[in-house]
Amino acid sequence: MKNKSGQLTLSNITKVFGNGSEKVVAVDNFNLTIEPGEFVTLLGPSGCGKTTTLRIIAGFETPTSGEITLDKKDLKNLTADKRPMGMVFQSYALFPHMSVFDNVAYGLRVQHLSKEIISQKVAEVLETMSLSHLATRAPNQLSGGQQQRVALARAMVVQPKVLLFDEPLSNLDAKLRAQMRIEIRRIQQKLGITSVFVTHDQDEAMSLSDRIVVMRNAVVEQSGTPDEIYRRPNSVFVADFIGRSNFFKVDKVSSGKGDKVKVLVNNEELEVAAHPLAHKSKTPVLLVRPESIQVKAATVKKSDGIVSNVVFYGNHVEYSVTTSYGEITAIESDPIYDQIVKPGNHAILEFDPSRTWLLPSSGEIIREE
Amino acid sequence: MAIRRQSAKLDVFTKIAIAVLVLILSVLIVIPVGNVLYKSFQPGGIEVLRNVYDNDYTRQIIYNTVWLGISVGAIGTAIGFLLAYIQVRVNFRGKKLLHILSLLPLVSPPFAFATAVIVLFGRAGIISNGIFDKQPMIYGYKGLILVLSISYFPVAYMNLLGMLRSLDPAVDEAARSLGASKFKIFITVTIPLLIPGIAASFLLLFVEAIADLANPLVIGGDYTVLASRAYIAISGEYNIAGGAAYSTILLIPALLVFIIQRYWSQRADVVTVTGKPSGQIEYIRTPLARYSLLAMAWSIVAFVILIYSMVIMGSFFKVLKVDYSLTLDNYRYIFSGVGNSAILTTTMLALLATPIAGVLGMMLAWVIVRKIKRGGQVLDFFGMLGLALPGTVLGIGYAFTFNSPIQIFGITILPQLAGGGAILGGAMAIVMVYVIRSSPAGQRSGIANLQQIDPSIDEASASLGASGGRTFRKISLPLIRGAFLTGLMFAFARSMTTLSPIIFITTPDTPILTSLILAEADTVRYGNAFAFCTLLIAIVLVTMGLINLLVNKTQQAGYQPIAVSAG
Repeated sequence: MKNKSGQLTLSNITKVFGNGSEKVVAVDNFNLTIEPGEFVTLLGPSGCGKTTTLRIIAGFETPTSGEITLDKKDLKNLTADKRPMGMVFQSYALFPHMSVFDNVAYGLRVQHLSKEIISQKVAEVLETMSLSHLATRAPNQLSGGQQQRVALARAMVVQPKVLLFDEPLSNLDAKLRAQMRIEIRRIQQKLGITSVFVTHDQDEAMSLSDRIVVMRNAVVEQSGTPDEIYRRPNSVFVADFIGRSNFFKVDKVSSGKGDKVKVLVNNEELEVAAHPLAHKSKTPVLLVRPESIQVKAATVKKSDGIVSNVVFYGNHVEYSVTTSYGEITAIESDPIYDQIVKPGNHAILEFDPSRTWLLPSSGEIIREE
Repeated sequence: MAIRRQSAKLDVFTKIAIAVLVLILSVLIVIPVGNVLYKSFQPGGIEVLRNVYDNDYTRQIIYNTVWLGISVGAIGTAIGFLLAYIQVRVNFRGKKLLHILSLLPLVSPPFAFATAVIVLFGRAGIISNGIFDKQPMIYGYKGLILVLSISYFPVAYMNLLGMLRSLDPAVDEAARSLGASKFKIFITVTIPLLIPGIAASFLLLFVEAIADLANPLVIGGDYTVLASRAYIAISGEYNIAGGAAYSTILLIPALLVFIIQRYWSQRADVVTVTGKPSGQIEYIRTPLARYSLLAMAWSIVAFVILIYSMVIMGSFFKVLKVDYSLTLDNYRYIFSGVGNSAILTTTMLALLATPIAGVLGMMLAWVIVRKIKRGGQVLDFFGMLGLALPGTVLGIGYAFTFNSPIQIFGITILPQLAGGGAILGGAMAIVMVYVIRSSPAGQRSGIANLQQIDPSIDEASASLGASGGRTFRKISLPLIRGAFLTGLMFAFARSMTTLSPIIFITTPDTPILTSLILAEADTVRYGNAFAFCTLLIAIVLVTMGLINLLVNKTQQAGYQPIAVSAG
């Protein structure tokens, strides 16, 4: 059963804290439309304005300017408690003086539902989250993962139109985090609730989202599907922030057909996919992801560079290769140990030009309009 | 996230709450104090203010007051620090007992001490004359610092105990592993970390000392201070404006200290103590240090016990210093006539004021911490003023303001609340004084507690649809309930034992215990005074015990609050 409502629109949202010389622009002209049932992640380094944006949506902050609507209805005059949204906090914010049951029932009691309906609904959601056996426990008797699930259950049980997540997984250990990612995604898809998720963890963003909004210094750097963000980043910043990157200096760009251009890299002509504005850049760079590069042992004559470091992880091996165009990282999965090129040896680097992306160099950030 | 401020729109409940709080603070503190300032510039007062420049006698009074404040601040803080340090850093039997005895002076009417000290050490005193056969100068400066230091050191003790306990032992361990000796650590780590607490204690005691009225009247002798001078001006010379002017002069150092302290504590937040202790406290084991510290501590509390015993025993003696046969006459006297009704009235009014003060303090704390960004400082300032102001100033302000109906454009806004012929025999004004005097304790502990609770918890409640009022009732209040009840306990003790603001507004219709005790002590009927004091202490202790029971019960019933904070 999918919700058809829950379209969230933010137009020209700007938030300025303080005034005078202490003025801090936390969010600068933020625009975003989130479709009903969509899972959108706000991703960026700390201080980029993602949490502020989320708190504006929730109603905990008032935007300095701009408009925010839910299903075409203006939210300006609705305080946080009047907005049909549920929020999961970084610290979980469970009420420490209430049992798990009472925590989850809180929002329903606010709505003055009958006792029977409340018990039934709470029981249901606890069942879904496999928390039924913990109903009478106090929050401080729960593990981090359990607290997290209670927080999620508490936000979901009131059937909000929008679910907001403020870095909810950052206090969990790596294994639990991966597990909760899957669980959150599963439940969100099942209920079809519009969701906004704030994180600085790219793995979370990639694995959870229908769409990722990358923020930096209060502005949106890029918004797109995980594949777009990873394969076709707008800027060096985005490419660097999501996954790992090698940037090759490009000597010459000649425009080609469609979005393909011909470039000269290390005296080799390649046909590569390019950002629409890349050919306008004075110094465009070619993005090649480490996993796209194969490292092969080579003789001195045919060498691209010398292997400076090798780290063996079992499931993959990571090379650092010193070349005439800089330090290049390459990752080979499922390596055969005996065939790994040892440090100090010469190597050639090979990659498929169709797996690369030409983009403007840093300092020439091109924004989505 | 770095930027986290409350700047969302306020809901209706919060808006109404703020309006009500502003109104209450205006009536209870702003207007009365404003009135004192206004009156002190009227004829009779303006002369006094002028005297500050050219009259040696007035200047001597100011000097006396400040010197007394500094002495008591230093000595009281030193005693408090010694006792707190031993409590945390020395392992010994009877620790709990020492703790309770260290807090004992909190629950006494201060002039019980003065009276007891006079009987023990004064002219023809039991110890001074009876044992040492001397006539020491107990009246005046020496007697005052003795009595005031003993009366107020528990304030410093509690302050420093909390700080010492929350010092991270890992810091000590770090210094130790770098090769510092224990004494070196004490000098270079412990003391510097406690400087804000020591300074805060000193300032608190300074204000208590300069504001005290009862002791200077009983034991001050020729050592006149501003508070007693103001009292004499009003009740002896009928120079109301003059009394106001002395109060205004007293107001200046009190306010100054209050402001310095606020500035200090705001800065201190950043540096001082943090979270959970991570290491083990290392106790002091050197016998010399251990025993000399313990000897000092036990002598101090022994003195406290001596004074308390004097108060209690004194209430059973026929005529002190003359006839030591045991009798219940003193009690027969106080339970007859005016004494009887004073006991009842005082207890009732204090009981009435206590919960009001508690709720007021907590509401203020909640609004200040959670709801408003700008203006919170102002609200906090005026809320705390009730405690920071000398009681004399407050009492005189109340007398001026509420001794006649308050009218605006000829319409009576408030009927006469204080003085003879006031409604309810002036009981209203007394309750108001109790409330404004006690609510700061609740406000302070409420703020401290709320600041430890993750704001997300309030926000979670709001995001689940709860209004501001519901969030306050169901989330914030239960979480600070322990602090709330403890606050109530001290509020009650304070109300029962307060004198200086009451003395200016009490009427024959509503006799108040503390002013009756002063009257008895003033007329050297010490037996009666001691009987009153004993009874007062008993009432306070019993009530505190009951509240304590309630605290323990609610804490067992509810879930223990856990420390929650954003990661």
